[in-house]
Amino acid sequence: MPTNADTIVALSTPQGRSGIGVIRLSGPNALAITRALVQEKDFSPQPNHASLKNILAPKSVEILDQALITYFKAPHSFTGEDVIELSCHGSPVLLRYLIDVILALDARAAGPGEFTLRALAHGRLNLSQAEAVRDLIDAQTHAAVRQAARQLKGELSARLQPIKDTLLEIIVPLESSLEFVEDDLPEIAADQLYQKLSSLARRIDTLAATFRSGRLLKDGLKVTLAGRPNVGKSSIFNGLLSLDRAIVTEIPGTTRDSLSELVSLNGVPVLLTDTAGVRSSDDKIESLGVERARRAIADADLVMAVLDGSRPLTPEDEEMLAEVRDFVHLIALNKSDLATFDANMAARVIDGASKVIIISARTGAGLDDLRAAILEPFASTEIHESGLLITDARHFDLLRRTQEALLSSGELLKLRASEELILVGLYDALRFLGQITGETTPDDVLSRIFATFCIGK
Amino acid sequence: MIFDEVFDVLVIGAGHAGCEAASAAARLGSQTALVTINLDLIGQMSCNPAIGGIAKGHLVREMDALGGIMGRVIDRTGIQFRLLNRSRGPAVQSPRAQADRALYRKEMRRMLEATPNLHLRQGLVIDLIVENGRVHGVELQDSRRLRAQAVVVATGTFLNGLIHTGRRTYMAGRAGEPASIELAEALKRLGFPVGRLKTGTPPRLDGRSIDWDAFEPQPADERPVPFSFSTHKIEQPQITCYVGYTTNDVHDAIRANLHESPLYSGQIKGVGPRYCPSIEDKVVKFAGKDRHQLFLEPEGHDTNEVYLNGFSTSLPAELQQELVHLIPGLEESRIIRPGYAIEYDYVDPRELTPYLETVRIKGLFHAGQINGTTGYEEAGCQGLIAGINAALSLQGREPLRLKREESYIGVLIDDLITQGVDEPYRIFTSRAEFRLALRYDNADTRLQSYGRDLGLIGDSDWDRFNSRRDRIALLRTALDRTRYKRSDAVYASLSHTLGIDLGDSITLSQLAQRPNVSPHLIKELLPPFIQTEIDITDLESALADSLYKGYIEAQRVTFNRLNQHDTLIIPSDFNYRAISGLSHEMVERLERSQPRTFGHARRTPGLTPAALSTLLIQLNLQKQAA
Repeated sequence: MPTNADTIVALSTPQGRSGIGVIRLSGPNALAITRALVQEKDFSPQPNHASLKNILAPKSVEILDQALITYFKAPHSFTGEDVIELSCHGSPVLLRYLIDVILALDARAAGPGEFTLRALAHGRLNLSQAEAVRDLIDAQTHAAVRQAARQLKGELSARLQPIKDTLLEIIVPLESSLEFVEDDLPEIAADQLYQKLSSLARRIDTLAATFRSGRLLKDGLKVTLAGRPNVGKSSIFNGLLSLDRAIVTEIPGTTRDSLSELVSLNGVPVLLTDTAGVRSSDDKIESLGVERARRAIADADLVMAVLDGSRPLTPEDEEMLAEVRDFVHLIALNKSDLATFDANMAARVIDGASKVIIISARTGAGLDDLRAAILEPFASTEIHESGLLITDARHFDLLRRTQEALLSSGELLKLRASEELILVGLYDALRFLGQITGETTPDDVLSRIFATFCIGK
Repeated sequence: MIFDEVFDVLVIGAGHAGCEAASAAARLGSQTALVTINLDLIGQMSCNPAIGGIAKGHLVREMDALGGIMGRVIDRTGIQFRLLNRSRGPAVQSPRAQADRALYRKEMRRMLEATPNLHLRQGLVIDLIVENGRVHGVELQDSRRLRAQAVVVATGTFLNGLIHTGRRTYMAGRAGEPASIELAEALKRLGFPVGRLKTGTPPRLDGRSIDWDAFEPQPADERPVPFSFSTHKIEQPQITCYVGYTTNDVHDAIRANLHESPLYSGQIKGVGPRYCPSIEDKVVKFAGKDRHQLFLEPEGHDTNEVYLNGFSTSLPAELQQELVHLIPGLEESRIIRPGYAIEYDYVDPRELTPYLETVRIKGLFHAGQINGTTGYEEAGCQGLIAGINAALSLQGREPLRLKREESYIGVLIDDLITQGVDEPYRIFTSRAEFRLALRYDNADTRLQSYGRDLGLIGDSDWDRFNSRRDRIALLRTALDRTRYKRSDAVYASLSHTLGIDLGDSITLSQLAQRPNVSPHLIKELLPPFIQTEIDITDLESALADSLYKGYIEAQRVTFNRLNQHDTLIIPSDFNYRAISGLSHEMVERLERSQPRTFGHARRTPGLTPAALSTLLIQLNLQKQAA
């Protein structure tokens, strides 16, 4: 495809000191700029192979850096244009200088997402793949990375393709019976079409249902720990984190502020927030912390109420329990390692509606149960399984619409309504599916008809 | 430059596009010349002697509502009328009629000759006179020069036409008529991108040599549905057509002789229509099918010629005769005219504005097969739009553009100018997003006011339209208000006949949406004072309106959601060249059309989906930045 695009450049690795920094160039001048950088007019790197080269300062023999240069020739590159990747040493000063040199050589600083945009424009990616690139970059856990990578490979499109194909198989006989009324076409088996339609709606439903898990992977959960001082919130926090982040002391109220940390629970990014102990206090600083804790509780997807199981419940405990009861919550009954621990204690005060997990933050006993219990209200265990998940709200919405459209057509089919009415929902469904991958396929149907039936007087 | 004659509008070609174009331009008050190679073949049906069919019948109705003439001519010359898809919903029903081929020509010529401002001229156009990017007239083979500030090219299959029968080829526009070679070269010289398409036609048989009893009769409708809203009654006596089938013997013989077919020897380069395949194609591509349907269609009242529909072929003539003999019932039949394939030039329709004027040359319009379409109806409606806009442009009036949402004509033109063609383009109902709203019976409601505003609809037609509209409105009210309750005597028998419970009470509008409720049943249930005056056609229209109302509203919501970006404004100083990833071609198209919104950009001719998503992302980025 002839293009009038200019050449863009950007640092592809994060800003800051690092082992290597990768500078990426894309566009018609990528190779010419590279030749100027290495000061070799005939430099012709073999595509997809790395070559080690000295990068020289402009109009001088001063070596700026020794870099590994990889050339991806158009159209066989990520963007579909000529792409050069320069792997340099990761000094921020050096990298910034190199980019300045490149900018002076007829390139332009890339805008956000511009490499992906070019890939989209050149047809190297479809819409759901481009969305995957964004997700991959933003992914916070390994599981989320895996999901985005699958989508990038086109797995979602590949998964939707047979669904689209089946949909077309349903549309084609209905449509041809309308359009080619004078042709000698086979009778439509309405019952068979209905079966196909129902099973298609179920497949869509199954796929859409993975959004519960998929959304968790992408957006994560907010979990707030609540409880009076010294019941062991910070220890639990650290236990889940497996890191010594919060200060743990025996003095009540040491943890004054809300403290947040991102943790991966079975691949789900969970933002854990430890609160100051919820306790009425005249201490100004502390009451500020208390207010903040109340807000953290209200914001949370799940509140973890922490109780000290080795002591009788205090009025403060009961007040806190009353407060969290209106939210999605669970109760962590801590200190099971102490002799005075009484597992039945909780049962006496708590109604059966709350889930109780017995743990010892000190020994780590019960922490795995706690992890599972945090995720349980939000997702089944599918996340660990390697199935493709719907992670994007846009995709989910379109799948639900597809399903609704199919079901309404199914009803009409059952009523033996005229074909043009049945087809309304089927075309809507096709359009919704097309919206997910960004392809619209108005001609698909006619092509299928001509491939399937011998049409024409 | 000296001209022999001066006109306002000049139309090249008197086929179905040319006739509509010339008639419309002349009736809009432009001095109009219709130039054709042979005046005796005006309105010739080159292939199938029939008008209409699914979606095509819709086009004819739409033309009629705008003031076109095809519907009137076929109504006076049609010898077998049938409403197709009668058992299905009203949106996908469509009239079709077989014509007496000779009568159709005669009636078309009579109508044109009766049109003031319209001047028939015989001659072969060999060049366009173009100065400073504007057309000024044409030059004929006999060296005459005709002046016109607007020229409609409607040359059908004549542009560089090349006929194939077996291995024999010869230049021709139709069998027995010369091709238009110089004009084709002139268009190329002007820089138009030209491609090649192909179409074909079956042999015609001598009706006296057919064993008619071997075929299944297909009678005309008892109540013929006319094409024109102005037609009160079909006067032509109606005939019967016949249906038959090929056999495996025929298929084997075709397969054994494929090397003789120019389609399979590589001799034909042009792309043919998939929905109108030759018999060779059918046999090869659907090898598993042991018979293919054929229709025997008499060509007129006063002729023995019979059109063998479904047997289009370009095999050698003597072989065609042998193959036909293998068909049961045609063992003794004689071919009067052999079938053939024809290749011809077309110009990329993405060169056109929605008014069918070329972007390249001001005042030059293209209509019909030159734009890559197939079919008389597809050609006719383009001719009508081109002729209207040619006249309007010279008169300094607003041009006419029909929307996809309101007409099949809008769908067809929009498809052509935005998608281009890679095979001969035929209209289908599935090409319309709003097929439920585009019915043959409501073409008048959709379009007649445009025809009136243009000046193509006379007072009597306009009055008839208005009174029909009032009658339908009255019926709609009656249908909504007439309600039957459980306590009514009629209710029980109604519920019993239909075998369903109807709830506590039901209006006739609601009842009509139930399966198996015919308009005739509804008619009997209307109050007696209305019943006596009901025209069943009006009632059908009123019922169709209420049947589809809910669907159409829901569809519009979906459609608007899908096109929610259409209102995104493109700043007037927007720099397309600065968008990376847009090819030169896309930038040029956008700069040429200067879209004001993303919706306009979406309908810009020839823009690819990738270019549009790139543009959309850029517009959104800029909006966020602002």
